[in-house]
Amino acid sequence: MPALPHVAILTPPRGGEVSDVPSHLGKALTIKGRLDTTGAIHIYGNVHGRITADRLVLGAGGYVEGDVVANDVRIGGRFAGRIFARNVTLDGSADVTGRIFHHTATVAKGARIDGRMPWRPLNYFERLEHLREAQS
Amino acid sequence: MSMFLRSDKSFDTGGSGSTARESSPPATDTKRPPSTTTSSDIAGSQPRAVSVISKSLKITGQLESTEDIQVDGEVDGDVRGASVKIGSNARVKGTVYGETVELSGTIDGKIEAKKVVLTSTAHMSGDVIHQDIRIESGAFIDGYCRPEFGKVTNKTVHPAPKPVGATPATPVREKTGTTGDFGSRP
Repeated sequence: MPALPHVAILTPPRGGEVSDVPSHLGKALTIKGRLDTTGAIHIYGNVHGRITADRLVLGAGGYVEGDVVANDVRIGGRFAGRIFARNVTLDGSADVTGRIFHHTATVAKGARIDGRMPWRPLNYFERLEHLREAQS
Repeated sequence: MSMFLRSDKSFDTGGSGSTARESSPPATDTKRPPSTTTSSDIAGSQPRAVSVISKSLKITGQLESTEDIQVDGEVDGDVRGASVKIGSNARVKGTVYGETVELSGTIDGKIEAKKVVLTSTAHMSGDVIHQDIRIESGAFIDGYCRPEFGKVTNKTVHPAPKPVGATPATPVREKTGTTGDFGSRP
């Protein structure tokens, strides 16, 4: 189990990446596969696969199926799978099936959650080994 | 009483004063569900393209869209879109399909598009299937350019113009041994 490059993503956010614009996946876009970034992703389309990012925003109307590893996750659309994030925000339009591993969570009125929301200490998110264990 | 709270919570763009617009009758478009009003608001703030793969993003897999795609990052897989732009520092390994494909970065694979533009920083390794192509000075191409977009894709890879006359029937006659005078032996 060698350390993967995206281990660094879960360390505190890097200032150097601020200038990069967030990736924007429009509502007509469908991606099957894996997404890796040190920046932000805004998803309004469909994604099937694993996502690694600093920040993920799943907009209302968007759908993600798979695992998400990020520092911050905001869900306003439909999600099926697992979320591993320090800070998780579920908007009122969220519809989540699966598990949400989090350190802090905010859930708005109206959000639908089918699954568990296990709390984890901060150091859990600093090491990906835990996450990889959870992947398999 | 609070039914509208669920779908109309705008987020991320702080939607100042946009709530009144969102609560207007939503079923104006035929396709869109009412909850996508927020996404179109955000798309309006990024006029470059409907979907943007920014430069720090790497995608391993397939992208498919009926709208425009701007790729500035790295894609290991196929890209399909209406109008696809590959930015100057972007890399795509795979086939790029589209009505229009504008390449400023690197493609290692293939382009299949009605209209193809290779800008001066383009680096294209692979074939270009097109109907209309523009190549700016400085572009790099290593591959075939074929105006076959939209035609039947009979898989005639590399039309290899083998000289047919170079393989006459003489060797066969030599083997049969009859009337050896027809052969063109030296």
